[in-house]
Amino acid sequence: MEIKHKYTFKDLSKQEVWDVIQDPEALQAALPNCETFEEVGDEEYKAVMKINMGAIQGEFTADVQQVDKKEPDSYRLLVKAKGKPGEIEADANMILDEADEGTELSCIAEVGSTGLMATVGQRMVGGVAKVVLGQFFKDIEKQAKQAAGQ
Amino acid sequence: MEKMVGQRIKRKEDPKLITGNGVYLDDIKIPGLLHASILRSPHPHAKIVSIDKEKALAHPGVVAVYTGKDLEGKINPVPTSWKVPGMNLIETKQYPLAIDTARYVGDGVAMVIAESKYTARDAVEMIEVEYEVLPSVANQKEARKEGAHQIYEEVPDNVAFKYVAGEVTDEDLENAEVLIKGTYNTQRVAPSPMETRNSLAQYNPGSGDLKLYVGSQNPHIHRMVLSEVLNFPEHKFHVKVADMGGGFGGKIGVYPDEALVSYAAMDLKRPVKWVETRNEHFQSANAGRDMMVDLELAGTKDGKITALRAVNHANIGAYLATFGPGNPTIDFGLMLSGPYKIEKAQCTTYGMYTNTMSVDSYRGAGKPEVTFMLERAVEDFARKINMDPVEVRRINFASKEEFPFTNAQGLIYDSGDYVKALDKAVENAGYQELREKQKELRAQGRYIGIGLSSYVELSGFGPSAVAGGIGFQGGIWENSTVRVHPGGTVTVYTGTSPHGQGHDTTFSQIVKDKLGIPYEDINFVFNDTRAVSMGWGTYGSRSLAVGGNAVALATDKVVEKGRLLAAHLLEADVESIDFSEGIYSVRGEAGRRKTFKEIAKAANFAWNMPEGMEPGLEEKTFFDPSNFTYPFGTHIAVVEVDVETGGIKILRYIAVDDSGKIVNPTVAEGQILGGIAQGVGQALWEGVQYDEKGQLQSGSFMDYTMPKANFFPKIEMEFTETLSPVNQLGTKGVAESGTTGSIAAAANAVMDALAPLGVISIELPLKPEKVWKAIQKGGAKS
Repeated sequence: MEIKHKYTFKDLSKQEVWDVIQDPEALQAALPNCETFEEVGDEEYKAVMKINMGAIQGEFTADVQQVDKKEPDSYRLLVKAKGKPGEIEADANMILDEADEGTELSCIAEVGSTGLMATVGQRMVGGVAKVVLGQFFKDIEKQAKQAAGQ
Repeated sequence: MEKMVGQRIKRKEDPKLITGNGVYLDDIKIPGLLHASILRSPHPHAKIVSIDKEKALAHPGVVAVYTGKDLEGKINPVPTSWKVPGMNLIETKQYPLAIDTARYVGDGVAMVIAESKYTARDAVEMIEVEYEVLPSVANQKEARKEGAHQIYEEVPDNVAFKYVAGEVTDEDLENAEVLIKGTYNTQRVAPSPMETRNSLAQYNPGSGDLKLYVGSQNPHIHRMVLSEVLNFPEHKFHVKVADMGGGFGGKIGVYPDEALVSYAAMDLKRPVKWVETRNEHFQSANAGRDMMVDLELAGTKDGKITALRAVNHANIGAYLATFGPGNPTIDFGLMLSGPYKIEKAQCTTYGMYTNTMSVDSYRGAGKPEVTFMLERAVEDFARKINMDPVEVRRINFASKEEFPFTNAQGLIYDSGDYVKALDKAVENAGYQELREKQKELRAQGRYIGIGLSSYVELSGFGPSAVAGGIGFQGGIWENSTVRVHPGGTVTVYTGTSPHGQGHDTTFSQIVKDKLGIPYEDINFVFNDTRAVSMGWGTYGSRSLAVGGNAVALATDKVVEKGRLLAAHLLEADVESIDFSEGIYSVRGEAGRRKTFKEIAKAANFAWNMPEGMEPGLEEKTFFDPSNFTYPFGTHIAVVEVDVETGGIKILRYIAVDDSGKIVNPTVAEGQILGGIAQGVGQALWEGVQYDEKGQLQSGSFMDYTMPKANFFPKIEMEFTETLSPVNQLGTKGVAESGTTGSIAAAANAVMDALAPLGVISIELPLKPEKVWKAIQKGGAKS
């Protein structure tokens, strides 16, 4: 299924957003209930996250890879996450655009899932993703503002 | 005294069930009982790279963990039981647990046996499986396309079988005055009985006997097939069915799970129980339908249908189910022309392997699908030639004088009066007034639709020689033993397997009429391979048509033996002995008489028997009918479509069915009613969803809409009675008719409502979203 999400970082330039969104420490801090976030290779990360939303519950270990980086315009995020409720595989295009108010980040992801997450959680996955992404971007915005001294 | 057959007798089964005294499989508790839970593949297609079961084995309370490799060579693959000659069937091996490759979401990968079911389920999650995900395909038409992923090396183009019945040439179609082409797909549905599948196996290491309780519609078939799968002899194998909450075809199949539980019980020498969860049911219980049908219908401008040519892509799943290959080829393919006298019909069926759960018989098993195709097409044809759909049906029906009627594919219909059922339905609906009202309301911007569906179905399985001819791996006769106890009460044993249908009630009515003893004095034993010598179970609407008639014939034999004994005791000629209302009497001498009770005692005591007569009063019959039975009818649905939302409301539903002699109208109506709920459910709400790769997305009742009572108005039912000449009672199958007739009736009603908006076809189920979108595309005026 396709998940689309947009977020506008107010009063921040594309470069300012980019710098934060590419910083592993900032990412760990921004991901809700993220327990570890380690760089394991060039542009490759391993993360452990806890999710607790209805039928989708438990610890997920995720392999995250960044490819096709075009600083500060776009990159692709490949995520493979595994937990008891099933597996998630996502291929997300992250695009930064200048907007009137600052920078707009669009995330267009093709997401596949297995297990309970697919068989009973299908219609929750979109909702959960929106909540997680929303919290994530909000936190990134906060950090980016701090970094920019705002 | 008035005959009991034909009366509305309350169901004998109900007091036990509604007072909580039923014993379902999960109620059975045996000391030392262990519980099984099965780890199932989350991927539609994956290589099993490695399985680490150590963590699960170390979990407190876990007794054993089995993988496919552990069982290799110990349990045989589970076979299909329907191999139609001429279909070039390629049967692949379905191992009870996948060994190297999992082929659908739900394919068993490992099994945990533990002291409690909770421990077993916890431990299943501790098994670590490394999968290598392989490309996969879920849609049967996609699976046949060039370049589609091959699920099995040995199956080119994923075609498990191809079967052609009948012949229609291009010329037959091209030269027709009217030719319509349409696609009439019936989507995959889940049988969803109230009680899910289950099994409980108990092995006695001392005697070497294996007892298996299993959620089965046919315990003798389970014994026969599992005996091969487990290399375990039938005479030591006792299969029983506890009270069972429905099957609808989903419990015909012999499944890997039952073999696994049996094996574990023998291996561990402790009883093992497994009960399917609802989520598991959606993954790994045989599904129904899933046929994609392209049809060409040729006809004349004045309404005569001259030829039908269909290509059916039937999704059969990753493995062949027990009856899987028969439904699309025989039940669908040979019934292509339905109740109509159409000279030429051809059906080409492709049975397609896909990365989905197997498809097997589901209420109607091919007949609802073919009726949906034909009846939707008949209405499309009627619309094209601008003729009333009632009239088109009337023109094409086989007339009652033509029975036994041979259809285009060579099946011989036993009896029928299709016009009578149609006329009755039209009359009960007030069809003409409905059409006028429809016009009136359309002028006000309201969209009412009237949909008809006339059907005939192959039911009452059946003659065994035909079973052999069509490759059904078994007989389809039925067996009954009537045992009269010394006190004059009766126990009847028979091989059909009730699980909600009410056999005990209706069969007792038959026996009561024949013996004239109190209804309460008759008891039935079903569902037990040690009590009943052999039987073929309950499916294909065969229980009454075959099993009920076996009971009738065995009871007749009891009456005749009683007559011989009565003649002997009364010192009269056998020819002069009348038997009526439970009394044997010498004709013209009412005082010289013996009651059935007295004869029962005399036969069991055997103090004074005629020369050469054996003691006891117990008779047995094996009844093999000369033909199937062909119930028929017409259903009319009236709906209103809200063009703003796409929502559909069923305003009325009228059913006129003919199932031959009706033994108990209440029970028969129950069958029709439930059948309609499932057929309309298919048309409007139900549907198993896989994504294009085969990932299951409808694994709960949150994602799968079951029909509910409040979705329906009161169903208006009536029967016509055209007796079957192929059995003593004149009965036909009744259990599947409601479903067979109703899918097209509901869908036709919706299409009729939408016709003025330019909407021609919508894929089932007709959910509001789809209906709304179709209205937008069709150019709604609103």
